[in-house]
Amino acid sequence: MKKVSLIVASVFLVTLLFSGVASAKPIAALLFPLSGPFSAMGTDMRKGSELALEEINAKGGVLGQKAEVIMGDDEFQAAIAIRKYKEMVDGQGIKAIGGTLSGGISVAVNEWACKNKVLYMSFCHTSIPLGKEQCGYGFVSGMIPYQTGVATAKYAFQNLGKSWMIVTQDYRFGHDELSAWLTVSEKMGGKFLGNIYSPLGQVDYSAHIPKIVATNPEILVINVYGQSMDAIIKQLGEAGLTNKKMKFVIPKSHLFTIKASGAFYTENFYGGHTFYWTLQDKFPKAKKFVEDYMKKHGAPPSQDSDGGYVGTRALLEAMNVAKTTTDVDKLIKTLKGFKMDYNKGPEEFRACDHIRTTSVVIVRGIGAKASGMNYGEVVAEIPWQETLESCENNKNDVPYGKVKLPGK
Amino acid sequence: MEINASLLINQMLFGLALGAVYILMACGLTIIFGLLDIVNFAHGTFYMLGAFAAFVTVSLFGNFWIGLASAIILVGLIGWVTETFLIKPLYGKDPLYPLMLTFGFSLAVTDLMRGIFGTVGRIVPLPQFFIGSIVWEGVFIPKFRVFIIFLTLGVLIFLWYFFKKTNLGMIIRAATRDSLMVRTLGIDVPRIWTFGFALGVGLAGLAGAVNSTIQSALPDMGVEITVECFVVVVIGGLGSLGGAILGGLIIGQVISFVSLFASDWSNVAIFITMLLILLVRTRGLFGEAGRL
Repeated sequence: MKKVSLIVASVFLVTLLFSGVASAKPIAALLFPLSGPFSAMGTDMRKGSELALEEINAKGGVLGQKAEVIMGDDEFQAAIAIRKYKEMVDGQGIKAIGGTLSGGISVAVNEWACKNKVLYMSFCHTSIPLGKEQCGYGFVSGMIPYQTGVATAKYAFQNLGKSWMIVTQDYRFGHDELSAWLTVSEKMGGKFLGNIYSPLGQVDYSAHIPKIVATNPEILVINVYGQSMDAIIKQLGEAGLTNKKMKFVIPKSHLFTIKASGAFYTENFYGGHTFYWTLQDKFPKAKKFVEDYMKKHGAPPSQDSDGGYVGTRALLEAMNVAKTTTDVDKLIKTLKGFKMDYNKGPEEFRACDHIRTTSVVIVRGIGAKASGMNYGEVVAEIPWQETLESCENNKNDVPYGKVKLPGK
Repeated sequence: MEINASLLINQMLFGLALGAVYILMACGLTIIFGLLDIVNFAHGTFYMLGAFAAFVTVSLFGNFWIGLASAIILVGLIGWVTETFLIKPLYGKDPLYPLMLTFGFSLAVTDLMRGIFGTVGRIVPLPQFFIGSIVWEGVFIPKFRVFIIFLTLGVLIFLWYFFKKTNLGMIIRAATRDSLMVRTLGIDVPRIWTFGFALGVGLAGLAGAVNSTIQSALPDMGVEITVECFVVVVIGGLGSLGGAILGGLIIGQVISFVSLFASDWSNVAIFITMLLILLVRTRGLFGEAGRL
């Protein structure tokens, strides 16, 4: 009987203990695409957020308490993301939300956040600092899509050739990158040979290969993301095109893509990244980030890990500075011009449009020489001043927002 | 870009290779529907399992051919177990039950695979001799696509021989028409059903293994192709192998040529094709004319 009582008491105590942890009031809600075509990237983003949360809690948490942050799957759907955010905002009283990995989804979430006066920290490439999307409640720890387009286009026209063709994923992000390439091309004397729109989620690009070969551009721009990016590279490699004369530029590449493409990601590939782990050789704080991330997750961080990390850390630190987790106006005021020195040297959230002032890194493939963590070499870092438009231009969504896209 | 004969022939060849994979998938789906009257919503999941079977075996043995063979065998075995323990108890009940079961099965297995393998694409390396293209007079096609076309042709010849010339094949055909009569003759029809299901999903596994080399093995990879595969089968006519072949060829060419002239319509085009064909022939091209 004593034994039974002991077990019952233990169970009661353990339940009490864990219910105490569970009932700690969450202060932020973060969603990532943990399923769907971008799930690998979404998982990386979540890992970055987890590391930031762990670090903040190790340093005393937020307002003297262990920070509780809800993390979940938005299933790569705007409607699901908004429903889940709404549940957490209405049900838990949360006033700060973050995450998502799609230009389209983050625009929809931003609109919802503005209507409901909730602070939204987007971790991805998104257009929420532009034109009518700029409502004052959204911040971006990734960047505006046109920035990687501008950075990679400038690099390509200076170093790789002039004639170019592009495969564009047919949604907001792809359109923004395309308009950036068209604009830079006109300024730098590029020769545009054609665009191929690709539906979101497409994984077989073989039907486009005859057209690409017939057009024969010096540069093929692979303006697709997620599984589609892995697939098109493998299919170009399968056709024997990746080790010929043609150069391949990916405005927004990914560590996983380089890894998944294997030997097909040859020296002819140049990808834009907002973070690459070898930046640790340049920035001492990046070294700590990379080491801590690898210790926790067993692999180097990608740009999505960086976006999740920076967004989460900035959000939680801003709560400490503003001394509130729920006063949205105070939090926004704090985050405007918020200075950070996390992974890439001194950066900030620009006060006028809430965009993180960060550089684009151009990483070149190394093909069959890739081994261990060594997938590519950084060949250039384009500073944010060369890619980010002025506050006024972003407010009016010019010049990229006014570009007439082919076939649209 | 100049539209010339070479480009059009290239486009046709790529379309043929695309269609070949759809044919493999659709034949499997057709065999299952023809024999068991089950709409297998988990067909794409077996396709995905084939890709991972190839990934695991190629990683272990370093041999592409073992990878292909293991995809059919392992996925066929998984199909055998699935049919025996999950689907068989539902025979004779509302047709909605197996449909819901296969749908639930696909969700559960996809999540399970996500838990085991994560969400990063797994590479199944293409053998060196398949890399590159065959080029002749401006016409070119990647060597591996040629292999896919011949592999599918080989599978179709095997299926034709199996269904037309072997005793087991003829029993299966008879069972699709009148299972009660076949049972009366003392044949273990439930065992035939199990075999048919295993064969059908084994073909999906083979298609998955083939595509894992030119895409990547991913837990979610079966979702889209399931829909496309249903389009192929509906166009050809439910339960008709000939229809599955013709449907696959049509869809391959539609995707290929629409990609050339209006790439952003390539996904929608297959549904428009289905709609047009169904307007003319509501049961699909070969529907009802001959099951298996």
